[in-house]
Amino acid sequence: MARYGMVIDLKRCYGCYACSMSCKVKNHTPPGVFWARVLKGEEGTFPNTVRQALPVLCMQCDDPSCVEVCPTGATFMQEDGIVVVNKDTCMGCKSCLMGCPYGARYSVESWESYFPDGLPLSEYEEFAKQQWEETSGCGVATKCDFCKDRLGTGKDPACVEACPANARTFGDLDDLDSEVSILIRRHRGQQLNPELGNNPKVYYLMPR
Amino acid sequence: MDPKVNGQLQTEWGWLVAIYLFLGGVGAGAYTIAAINGFMGESLEFSTIVGLWISFPALMIGSAFLMADLGSPARAIYAGMKPKTSWIARGFWIISIFMVLSFFHLLLHRSGSTTADTSLVVISVLGIIFAVLTMAYTGVLLGASKGIPFWRSGVVPVVFVVSALVTGHFMIMLGVAVFGESAAVETLRVMAIEAAILVALEVLAIFFFLQAAFKTPDTRESASRILRKRLFVVGYFLLGLGIPLVLMVYIGRTDGALDGGPTLVMVGALLGLIGGLILRQAILVCGALPTWNIAGFKFRRIARPKEPKPAMGMLPPH
Repeated sequence: MARYGMVIDLKRCYGCYACSMSCKVKNHTPPGVFWARVLKGEEGTFPNTVRQALPVLCMQCDDPSCVEVCPTGATFMQEDGIVVVNKDTCMGCKSCLMGCPYGARYSVESWESYFPDGLPLSEYEEFAKQQWEETSGCGVATKCDFCKDRLGTGKDPACVEACPANARTFGDLDDLDSEVSILIRRHRGQQLNPELGNNPKVYYLMPR
Repeated sequence: MDPKVNGQLQTEWGWLVAIYLFLGGVGAGAYTIAAINGFMGESLEFSTIVGLWISFPALMIGSAFLMADLGSPARAIYAGMKPKTSWIARGFWIISIFMVLSFFHLLLHRSGSTTADTSLVVISVLGIIFAVLTMAYTGVLLGASKGIPFWRSGVVPVVFVVSALVTGHFMIMLGVAVFGESAAVETLRVMAIEAAILVALEVLAIFFFLQAAFKTPDTRESASRILRKRLFVVGYFLLGLGIPLVLMVYIGRTDGALDGGPTLVMVGALLGLIGGLILRQAILVCGALPTWNIAGFKFRRIARPKEPKPAMGMLPPH
């Protein structure tokens, strides 16, 4: 069985938000929910400064703290290493939102319009809301699942496909000949906050 | 509407969870004090009755607030399914057993059992054990949240246990002051001395908690925010700790009759209770996500520019 993971090359990422948008379009997430985010940060003091984009998503940890704290067992890890939420048994206690050190989880009470002043949902929003209710839902924890429905059809996750800089690579971490494994070995892939002990399956290639 | 960033405060757990933690603490604290006072003899008998009457309803109401915070409350029945790893599941069982014990203790007490009866002694000891577990659970629940470094301090459960004892004690004092008759004045004086000692312990616990929080960069953000919060400084430090401590020391030092004693007790106890609630709410809302770093590259987010003030040509449409 594959153990899926992702490599994000920070040298290539220029922070265009294509991943965020493609995720929103694919998963119909409501306003305020960003399963794939791009953060902008800076490091150093003038004149030796670096401005860096940091794309983040659910790290699909090998030792996920969200699974540990879930009281109902609604959050679990599939055989392929993807951490998923069973929306039918999640009771919406939000302890997994507090347990995730990467801020990757969201819970919304209702699907509200992107437009201001309490405008009714547009036709597209009505469609998106319906899709959202079927796949994720309101009042429960939601998160990125590496577009597991796309994987079944042999496609990469939407964010990987949409990245114009080819900064994202997706594949099987257990296959030593896969592109992700080679990139991690060759370029010393790093995990976000490894000291936390969650052992994420999303690796970053450093910009310097 | 912004995506989550590092160092951002959590917004999911607010007043509802704070009230749940507060009432859980009050119920468990009141039971512990009541059960211990039950072994102390006739002089504190009335405080035992009041404490037992407070404990069970406080836990019931507290659980209702937790239910109100759930996104899908109809599925709360699944809450205890993973006690091996989840503290919410463990808490589900701890509080359920404790509620049963406190209810039976009240029934036994109502039926006229005394501490000479083995059944009451057994249920008291078991009840105290589960009450302490409930008090600690309210703190350990937060400590299990890896996403909020501020809550992961080992001092948090200590703060919550001491605060639960203080608020439970104040709730009993309030009940004794309201429902007790003239004979209750001496009981209140003894309890005021106990309360002063407990409040002093809470001051120490909160001092060590904040001191530890200022030591690491991840928790410093939360610690400095909590101290900038007016509700915390005025509502908790001054009104919730300072004034009750002064009042309890004053009441405890008076011999015999004290003019307006029960009124002073009521004021002090009410302020102490409000302080306990503010403490929990402040600790919750000041919890921030950790700083993210990769291979030593600490990711410091760029401060968002302030919204431009409306000027000519930028006025919002009417």
